[in-house]
Amino acid sequence: MHIKHHPVLGEQLQKTITIYFNDLPYTAYEQQTVAAALMANGIKRLGSSRNLVQPRGLFCTKGRCCSCYATINGEDHVRTCQTMVEDGMKIYPNDEDPEVRGECCGD
Amino acid sequence: MNAVETDVLIIGAGPAGLAAAFETASRGLQVTLVDESKSMGGQLVQQTQVLSSLPSIYQPMCGFELAAHLSRQLEDFEIRYLLGHRVIGFYKDGSVGITDEKNVFPLRAKKTIVATGASENAIAFPKWTLPGVMTIGAAQTLMNRNFVQPGKNAVIVGSSDFAMDVALQLSKVGVRIRGIVEKNTGVKANGTEKVEQVRKIGIPILLNSSIKEARGIGAVSEVDIQQGEDIWTEKVDLVCVDGGRSPILDIFYQLGCSFGHQEELGGWVPQYNNDFQTDCENVFLAGNAAGISTQGALLVTGMLAGINVCAALGAISKEAVEEGKQSLWKELESIETRSNLKVWQARNQHIEKFAHPVLKDQFIS
Repeated sequence: MHIKHHPVLGEQLQKTITIYFNDLPYTAYEQQTVAAALMANGIKRLGSSRNLVQPRGLFCTKGRCCSCYATINGEDHVRTCQTMVEDGMKIYPNDEDPEVRGECCGD
Repeated sequence: MNAVETDVLIIGAGPAGLAAAFETASRGLQVTLVDESKSMGGQLVQQTQVLSSLPSIYQPMCGFELAAHLSRQLEDFEIRYLLGHRVIGFYKDGSVGITDEKNVFPLRAKKTIVATGASENAIAFPKWTLPGVMTIGAAQTLMNRNFVQPGKNAVIVGSSDFAMDVALQLSKVGVRIRGIVEKNTGVKANGTEKVEQVRKIGIPILLNSSIKEARGIGAVSEVDIQQGEDIWTEKVDLVCVDGGRSPILDIFYQLGCSFGHQEELGGWVPQYNNDFQTDCENVFLAGNAAGISTQGALLVTGMLAGINVCAALGAISKEAVEEGKQSLWKELESIETRSNLKVWQARNQHIEKFAHPVLKDQFIS
């Protein structure tokens, strides 16, 4: 849920944008990170662990724990807590090992 | 590629880094400030509680107000801001590799102040990796920086002063706190007023208790709480773990600094002398990276590191250095003995051990 009226900081959320998770549209606000905007829309599972295939999501919000990886605009393994939302952004969960080879990755 | 040159490189634009930037830039040194975030102030930005124990020259204020103040006082100086940039390593010739997430470029600094801050520690229990389980700082960041309610029903594991602050803030945005779970026999928080406030709004503080297990499909939906012989289930979609903090050390490892262990300072801490200089001559440190402390102390350590860098680069007279150092150390003592005497004692012990490093050139994470 978005906090429209913050008890200390007031009404900060003004400009809405649309992001896509698994091709479905969701409303986000421009000063939010991808992970936060998805959580506001009830999406917490952002990927699964490689070995035991356990659900993974946001944990530290500071870019340290690397638990919130997702694929953003075609790039695998992006920390969603350190990436700000942009209009039309396409996000997919990271359920497999990331693509690190090929032309797109500079190989 | 030719390296960009600078007098002082400050890594981290939190309270310590900004305080160090003011001390150095205001004495005419050319300062470069790097931070991974696009905004300045580090973790101050989402602190909506009033900060206690600030240096005597400051009025009591909230974290986000302090962040704005520290940024504002740099406005008069020509500082090279590399926000949204990260230090990713060091070249053989000693220059620093910095990335804007697309390109990497070298930067050569005469002196470096590392103010990378701290990261929160996890508390493990079965299924603690489920989405919806997060650090207490993460819940605060979602609420105060992203304006997102992190859950509807929560438990908090740990009872520090910070946990009490965040519990009160979460309640105000409509999160129902089902309990604060503390494994010890007493509350960890020193601020009795805050604990009283938490109790008053009906949040149960459960001593001698722990999370036995979390459950949920794709995200946490319930936890078993154990208190003595009793075990019961709470339906929650948010579990905030308050496991304390430890200094962020990556850059010190890469630089080859040596470390010492001080439990009260957050675990492994780079060795440093009373000038906040590490065993690498050109590398200074400040803030939580030099041991976990209160906001006020972070500012003072940043100022100390800044002044000592000025002295090393001849940007300040000898008398002014001595005078400044003496009054800042007095301030640090006053803040830390007031807020947490053990931290002050550990810091002094740590500095005393500078001449005898415990670990040298060793990767220990």
